[in-house]
Amino acid sequence: MKVKVVTKILEANERIARENRRLFDNAGLYVINLMSGPGAGKTSILEKTLTMNTGLRIGVIEGDIAGSDDAERIEKHGAPVVQINTGGACHLDANMIYEVLQDLPLQDLDLLFIENVGNLVCPAEFKVGEDIKVMVLSIAEGHDKPLKYPLMFQESSALLLNKIDLAPYLDVDINKIKKDALSLNPKLKIFEVSCKTGEGLSAWTDWLKEKALRS
Amino acid sequence: MHELSIAQNVLDIVSEQCVKSGHAKIDSVNLRIGRASGIMPDALIFAFNAIKPDSIAQDALLNIEEVPVTGQCNECSNSFIVEEEYILNCPVCKGSSFQITSGRELDIIDMEVS
Repeated sequence: MKVKVVTKILEANERIARENRRLFDNAGLYVINLMSGPGAGKTSILEKTLTMNTGLRIGVIEGDIAGSDDAERIEKHGAPVVQINTGGACHLDANMIYEVLQDLPLQDLDLLFIENVGNLVCPAEFKVGEDIKVMVLSIAEGHDKPLKYPLMFQESSALLLNKIDLAPYLDVDINKIKKDALSLNPKLKIFEVSCKTGEGLSAWTDWLKEKALRS
Repeated sequence: MHELSIAQNVLDIVSEQCVKSGHAKIDSVNLRIGRASGIMPDALIFAFNAIKPDSIAQDALLNIEEVPVTGQCNECSNSFIVEEEYILNCPVCKGSSFQITSGRELDIIDMEVS
């Protein structure tokens, strides 16, 4: 006999994401799911953000396929950090986050960054309970990326265009990146930044403060 | 890219629903998978077949209906079907501002049980 199921395959993930969301709300915590391809500079952005005087109490969950290099980099800045190793999985899911929340002092934080696995495709598909998604694209990755990976640009609230100091050495068309990204997502907030020179980072942290403290 | 974990979710959901409906065996499962969901049907069937032995779905066939990616252009309002999953432009005005109207589905529709 036929049985109707009519269930989203990712329903279990979405249920746990809602539970994470409830825990974040109870702690008055603003949560950002930080996504990019490998090597765009997610961890460098976080390190710079931690050294700037934002007045925000920031915690970090580091997601990587293997290793704890990123968590060690964050720990040096004195921020509470937990490393998740996905053991080959290409993205973080809500349950991986749920399982490490007890290891973070949620009540003592204003802002939590979840640094996702470096990948421009899958992380955008899995909610983890975040308030917003933010993506990093280094300009060296090329100006074709918004139209090749539209979902990530459409789902993000902000785009950090990193390594902007390399612009004189590259043929990349930065205006095309911005134009295509904005046509995919007219509300996208774009920051041109360099972790090397510090350019643009104060505009990013000002925006961050406004977001985190309004929550 | 993550078909094995998706297959595990499918197996968990249909097994639970089958038991709830008072049946002992799943004969087939029907899914709808969007072409922009990042899931390859062949890889999903391969993963499902790899994990189904010793479950109540051990003889179950996985049937997948693929859903094309469709969009509606924000500039000229044209509705269109996308041939290439990841390179999206309105075929009429070439604009890249659009709403995706289908193609991200990852749904279990129904199953045959006995």
